[in-house]
Amino acid sequence: MSEITLQGLEKQYGETTAVEDVSVEINDGELLCLLGPSGSGKSTTLRMIAGLETPTEGAIRIGGEDVTEQPAYDRHTSTVFQDWALFPHKSVLENVAFGLKMRGVSEDERHERAETMLERVQMGSYDDEDPTNLSGGQKQRVALARSLAVNPDVLLLDEPLSNLDKRLREDMQIELREIHEDVEETFVHVTHDQDEAFTLADRIGIMDGGQLIQVGDPDEIYENPKNRFIEGFLGDTNFVEGTVESANPDLVTVESELDDTLTIPAGEDHEVAEGTPLELSLRPEILSIDRLASDAEGTASEADEEHEPMLADGSVLNTVTGTVDTVLYRGSTVRYSVSVGDSSVFVERTDTTEESLSVGDEIRIEWNGSDVLAFHTDGTRVGI
Amino acid sequence: MTSTLHRETLETLAFRAGYLALFALLVLPLLVVVVTSFAASGRLAFPPESYSLVWYGEFFGDLRWLTAFENSIIVGVGTAILATVLGVLGAFGQEIDDDSRIGSIVGPLVLLPLLIPPVILGITLLMYFSELGIRGSYVTLVLAHTLWATPLVYFVMRSVFSRFDWQQLDAAADLGAGPIQSFVHVVLPNVKQGVFVGGLLAFIISLQEFVMALFLSTASTETIPVLAWTEIRQALDPMVSVVSTFLILFSLVALALAVLATNLEWVSRQLS
Repeated sequence: MSEITLQGLEKQYGETTAVEDVSVEINDGELLCLLGPSGSGKSTTLRMIAGLETPTEGAIRIGGEDVTEQPAYDRHTSTVFQDWALFPHKSVLENVAFGLKMRGVSEDERHERAETMLERVQMGSYDDEDPTNLSGGQKQRVALARSLAVNPDVLLLDEPLSNLDKRLREDMQIELREIHEDVEETFVHVTHDQDEAFTLADRIGIMDGGQLIQVGDPDEIYENPKNRFIEGFLGDTNFVEGTVESANPDLVTVESELDDTLTIPAGEDHEVAEGTPLELSLRPEILSIDRLASDAEGTASEADEEHEPMLADGSVLNTVTGTVDTVLYRGSTVRYSVSVGDSSVFVERTDTTEESLSVGDEIRIEWNGSDVLAFHTDGTRVGI
Repeated sequence: MTSTLHRETLETLAFRAGYLALFALLVLPLLVVVVTSFAASGRLAFPPESYSLVWYGEFFGDLRWLTAFENSIIVGVGTAILATVLGVLGAFGQEIDDDSRIGSIVGPLVLLPLLIPPVILGITLLMYFSELGIRGSYVTLVLAHTLWATPLVYFVMRSVFSRFDWQQLDAAADLGAGPIQSFVHVVLPNVKQGVFVGGLLAFIISLQEFVMALFLSTASTETIPVLAWTEIRQALDPMVSVVSTFLILFSLVALALAVLATNLEWVSRQLS
């Protein structure tokens, strides 16, 4: 068993706090991704699990054993470093065999095991190669083989894919996933790339400013982010500022910068009061767009509607109109920046068979009010 | 176009002439020493009136010179070993402990022996060693020379360690290597050329050090510079040139070894 428990973990460098009160249970055999921007404390947390940093406060338990004071070389963890840290004076095979050599395994036995590991990561024919002559992807594979060769209880990955180009990175993500299923060890993977985290992780822990803000399944975190930072970090979204105009038990209306009153269906025990300033997140995938009929009457009748009707299933249709400002082709998607009132939102179209829009087109943007996430001005989520 | 090319050639030529002149200026005195060592007469003059190997014969026949040579090498090797161990460990220790207070003191402290005139060091050490009752032994000479050689090894190693990828230590510890195993299996193999160069530097420093050796050596432990000085005071004959030639030869061999050591891996990579 090699579950990991972090309890109130804290790391200070002089006056700066790199990691603050991080507590989490990582299950045996789980692949947990620590996701956050640079400087969020995720690498420091990983290094504390590895024993390469000593926590200022708190405790680390691996497989039930308190290892907080144990040096790195006594822990059954193994790390794949960001720039791989291969030993330049040793051959590829010697690099992979190093950990076993330190454990006193005989030369024949450790070379055999090292060779098996190299074959597993498809580097079987590079035994005698000088690691400095390898490409980034190859170094990454050797580093992975070197860490796996010691049969660690826990494999720690410190952004090992961030120095690879996009295509190779995506291939390696799939391979890592396969290796994880294969070896059935606990993996803790640190990354700043949300796509990587969503591809790899059983669970994701979001870090910001040294704190672990939210831990959960990928879809849970995406559907239900705890605060505005996570919502903004996980993908592009439109944040729209507004003030609560009316707060009825089943419906909240918000006077927004989009020149229109937006409506959000509410649960009975919602915590919003009239006059509260809010920020609403309108993700591009909840927005549907339509070109407006060119006759002026149609436009007028849309704009006249004061409050959108509540539909039978409890959802509320919100509609705003705007003008296309810019068109940005991004491979499989097209992104439109649309000015609505004094503000602007972006929308996306993935279906390229649809009629394309061009700059100056008048369009209607619609969404279901219940798909909108609302945040307080301090970033915390509003319960509606 | 042609005129700029022409100018560049001229500038290159002028530059070459300049550094060749400088090089000649440095090498010529050595040449004079080597040439005079082959003199046939007993007078130290340049150029010698006739040439022979007679003074080389004298050298190998003279037990005092051979003993001095042996002494110099014993003291040199001892200094090289002691200064290298101290310098390498000092530089390494400071590198891994660079934010502690001790670390910040070590740098300037190591420099101190270089700032004290060797005459004063020599007298002080003489009194100190007499007190300890080890006066005149090889140990005293080695310790004195180590005072001078250690700072140089230390600074060589500081610059070598500044190019060392310290993440390798993390990787080694992570793979189960304790501090000593890490040092032996990861740090040393990475900096071995630097260690070798530092050691040679210490050896050469000891080989040519005169002032402290004069105070600390006795007739049985006197080194070549000390004996040369005593001899010159009595008679200025080509024997001094013979001894100097050997010293030059020694330094050249050491230098060649250093170059070879630093480039050996590069050479072997080119050959394979």
